[in-house]
Amino acid sequence: MNRVLRVLLIVAAIAMVAFLAFLYVPVQRTPAQMVLAADYAVPEGAGAYAMRIADCAACHTAEGGQPFAGGRAIISPVGTIYSSNITPDPETGVGRYTLSEFRAALYDGVRPDGSHLYPAMPYENYRKLTEQDIRALYSYFQNDVPPVKATQPLNDLAFPFNLSWGLRAWKWVALGEPGFTARSSDADLARGQYLVEGPGHCGACHSPRNALMAQAALTGADPAFLSGGQIAGWTAPPLRGAISAIQGWSAHDITLILATARNAHSAINGEMQLVVRDSSQYMTDGDLTAIAAYLGALNQRAPKPAAEGQTDTEKLLISADPSMDLGPRLYLDNCAACHFTNGRGADEVFPELDGSSLVTAESPTGLISMILQGGELPSTAVRPARLRMPGFAYRLSDDEVATLATFLRQAWSNNTDAVTVDEVSGLRQLDTAN
Amino acid sequence: MPQFPFHRTRRSFLAGTAAGAALSVLAFQARAQAAKEVPLAEYTPEYLSPAEYAFVMAATARLIPSEGDGPGALDARVPVFIDRQLAGDFGIAADLYMEGPFNPEADPNLGTQTALPPAEIYRQGIPAFDIWCADTQGGLFADLDTDAQDIALTALSNGEVGLSADLREFWSLLLQNTKEGYFCDPQYGGNAGMESWVYIGFPGARGNFDDWVGRQEVYPLGPVNIAGERA
Repeated sequence: MNRVLRVLLIVAAIAMVAFLAFLYVPVQRTPAQMVLAADYAVPEGAGAYAMRIADCAACHTAEGGQPFAGGRAIISPVGTIYSSNITPDPETGVGRYTLSEFRAALYDGVRPDGSHLYPAMPYENYRKLTEQDIRALYSYFQNDVPPVKATQPLNDLAFPFNLSWGLRAWKWVALGEPGFTARSSDADLARGQYLVEGPGHCGACHSPRNALMAQAALTGADPAFLSGGQIAGWTAPPLRGAISAIQGWSAHDITLILATARNAHSAINGEMQLVVRDSSQYMTDGDLTAIAAYLGALNQRAPKPAAEGQTDTEKLLISADPSMDLGPRLYLDNCAACHFTNGRGADEVFPELDGSSLVTAESPTGLISMILQGGELPSTAVRPARLRMPGFAYRLSDDEVATLATFLRQAWSNNTDAVTVDEVSGLRQLDTAN
Repeated sequence: MPQFPFHRTRRSFLAGTAAGAALSVLAFQARAQAAKEVPLAEYTPEYLSPAEYAFVMAATARLIPSEGDGPGALDARVPVFIDRQLAGDFGIAADLYMEGPFNPEADPNLGTQTALPPAEIYRQGIPAFDIWCADTQGGLFADLDTDAQDIALTALSNGEVGLSADLREFWSLLLQNTKEGYFCDPQYGGNAGMESWVYIGFPGARGNFDDWVGRQEVYPLGPVNIAGERA
């Protein structure tokens, strides 16, 4: 027999066996990664706190819905996913889950009946949860949340995510080892790493996705981890590397923006507002400091030296020369009142535009949306004011928005691609439709 | 970079989005409207009757004449502003305390004491003033020559035209609304083309001139209005 043919047959046989295994071999549930004392009791308040750091509400509480009753529509390129009910209701929620079934949902993305959760649930990251946090969450969702009877519409997903064996194969490729391994003996760095890689599931948005739509890296040891991703068309900025959004930020800058959604450089926008609103503002000072230490350690390169004196952009804007191009003119007429001619805004009130990750993101979607719709900071305990940037959709034509956005992306020290009118028109129509 | 945008309905929490979309439609309609503004003479008033509109045209044209250096009240479309204000909340005194007691005879230092809202003061004040004009100047105000109109307005401003106490505010309202229509943001119908802002060098709703504080030179940029238009 032809040798090539024989090899092909062997490969095909192995593939068939693997395929049948995906179909028929029962799903294994990852056991506890640490044995707790038989009389271990979840400390007072630990359940609610674990819920906060894992930000369960972000997906499992619909806007205006009952807490954790699910039903939030998550639109992805492979279809719409509706978050599930994680209240203790026995029929429609997680009331009948045993601890090991609950752990398997978080670690393996598996329901008690063996069916697979869609990877909108970040079990890639929750696989790193400590047993203490698993127990805390289990206790919280069994005892501390009122049960709500609520079912969700069926998910409508494309191949292979619509097939159980497809999801199983995907997980086989995408999931890393369960459990958490600290890379530093420093307590702050280790805690920060745990919060960022595990419950905080920062990588779900801030890490790129690979060809299989799995997170390209699950741990900070890999330079792809937190190197920037996309969510809802907006850029989740890189938090490390040459174009890190937090380059040059102090630990205080990082803790402040997580606690209040604003700092001396930036203001939280887009989906990250949900994170601050529901999760990070509730973190203890110790945990915020740990995250700041860890993210700081990922950003060790020397910050770009601040420009000496006035930039050409600033000089042009200050001149108020009537012969200036439309871009800077639009900036003076619409933006400079708050963001100033130097593009540096004001601490904790008006975000910087010079060097802003929103302004200079590869995709201009976030910037265009911000110009058209404006934004509003979430109210936090430390900074309750819902500071608001108005939308300029009523004031600027698509042409003007494109011209202004292009100016912003190339003003001061910024140097990014131009924005086209079509990009603006598309987003304006989308927003009007919504 | 592969994309995996989980798109939650962000709209629901970025407050004001729907309002923003609605506003944008309104604003573009307003712009389109400004482009095809009808000439003043063909404007159909929302509140004023034809006779009242003729009076407002004639009176504002004397208060800020077109023959001076800058634009006049008619160039700025002040009558449109006044008509629209009287047709809206200002006309019905929506923002004023309008419960009694009313004592129109009270000392003027005590402020407005009439029960009449501004729109009604115009409605009753114009014919009352026209009667005085007919008696002393020989015709309705709008029909007088400009010298006679100036005499009549001077008498009105001096409280010499015999208006009832209820209408005491007629002159001050007319003068105030004319100034407002001249300098307002164009969205309210007056200050057409921002001409009055250009005339006095007011740079409009730009909001921040920090860089120009202390500079002994004329600010070179023309004005911008609230709709973002430039002049």
